[in-house]
Amino acid sequence: MADPIHQFQIVKVVDLPDVTLPFVGLVDLAITNSHIAMTIAFAAVVLFLTLVTSNAKVVPGRLQTVGEGLFGLIDNLTDSIIGHDGRKYFPYVFTVFTLILAMNLLGMALTFTATSQLAITATFAVVTFGLVLVIGFAKNGLGFFKLFWPTGAPLVMRPVVGLIEFFSFMLRPVTLALRLFGNMLGGHVALKVFAGFVVTLGAMAAGGGFGLLGIPGAALSMTMVVGLTALEFLVAFLQAFVFAVLTCIYLNDVVNLDHAH
Amino acid sequence: MATPAGHGADTAHTATTEAEHGSGGLPQFQFEHWGGQIAWLLILFVILYVLIARVFTPRMRAVIDQRASTISGALETARQVQAEAAEQAKAAAAEVADARAQSQRVAAEARAKAAAQSAERAAVEEAKVSEQVAQAETRIAAMRDAAMSNVGAIAGETAAAIVEKLTGKAASAADIKAALATRGGAA
Repeated sequence: MADPIHQFQIVKVVDLPDVTLPFVGLVDLAITNSHIAMTIAFAAVVLFLTLVTSNAKVVPGRLQTVGEGLFGLIDNLTDSIIGHDGRKYFPYVFTVFTLILAMNLLGMALTFTATSQLAITATFAVVTFGLVLVIGFAKNGLGFFKLFWPTGAPLVMRPVVGLIEFFSFMLRPVTLALRLFGNMLGGHVALKVFAGFVVTLGAMAAGGGFGLLGIPGAALSMTMVVGLTALEFLVAFLQAFVFAVLTCIYLNDVVNLDHAH
Repeated sequence: MATPAGHGADTAHTATTEAEHGSGGLPQFQFEHWGGQIAWLLILFVILYVLIARVFTPRMRAVIDQRASTISGALETARQVQAEAAEQAKAAAAEVADARAQSQRVAAEARAKAAAQSAERAAVEEAKVSEQVAQAETRIAAMRDAAMSNVGAIAGETAAAIVEKLTGKAASAADIKAALATRGGAA
């Protein structure tokens, strides 16, 4: 039985020499299974969007309906959360959503799930957080810090509440990264564990004698695997959507800082 | 799940990396793999962002806007056609009402005319009939008068005949006349 953690192992597929870059230091250029999974997800998104938009008609076909459904989902999200400025941020949210969704869904088919790598989810989270900071300071200047000054609270409470607000704001990239990472990790580990039970208990049953008691267990595990697979497809979509929603909410905080407070 | 090509060839390598970092921890925390993944993800992310922002979103928006304008245009046309139809229906209803009023007028006129004509005709007929009645009445009166005048002569003759039968001699005409006159006067 394979170690349930083994599926997350980064494996070098093509080993390239390490290079030393200025400022960054030693970087391993090797192409790993993670790179391949990311590239397939990227190619899938580009192919899908190309197919959807290259021959777009006023009366949409099946594929175009699906594409426009995803497009409309995120468009409504940015519009309803950020407001009329939302269209400006739509491409970013849509890029995050489609890339994460593709990686999550491909994780259901490939042996490797890119979004189960903390390095990947942390990158998404830090990029989103950085974007929020950049837009926050670019739009509001030092007024950005009004975000941590709760005008609704009594004056004595404001520094305390403000401090809490500040910490929760600084924790946003961590929670963003860990939510997606944890969901994908947990789901795939659970799948692997139950799938492993099927094999182990099946092997026990094949031995005969008391081992035959393993058959109901194996059947139960198999049921769990089927159920969990369906659940994981849901989680794959849901986590991509949650990431997009939170990105919109965080962007809204700084885009509409003056109106909200 | 199938193992992609290349996995098998690299098992030795994997084993060494696992050995180096201990098998207890998650592979996700082998930080020497982070740099390459992050760099590659950022490259892909930027390319995808540019593609979506410059190519896919404008295309999609163009189609959606085109659809919206097509639908609103069709709705506008439909609304116009409907208004036109309503107007035409109103005009037709007015025309029908007009025609009905006219036909009612014509009918009333015709009825009045027919009534007048029939009354006239009836009056003419009545006049003709009453004239005939009057003529007949005069004729009857004349005939009665003639009959009444003959009665005297017949009575005289009858009286003369009766007297002759009874007495055997003819009574004079003057006597009979006188007798008739007194009887007639008494009667």
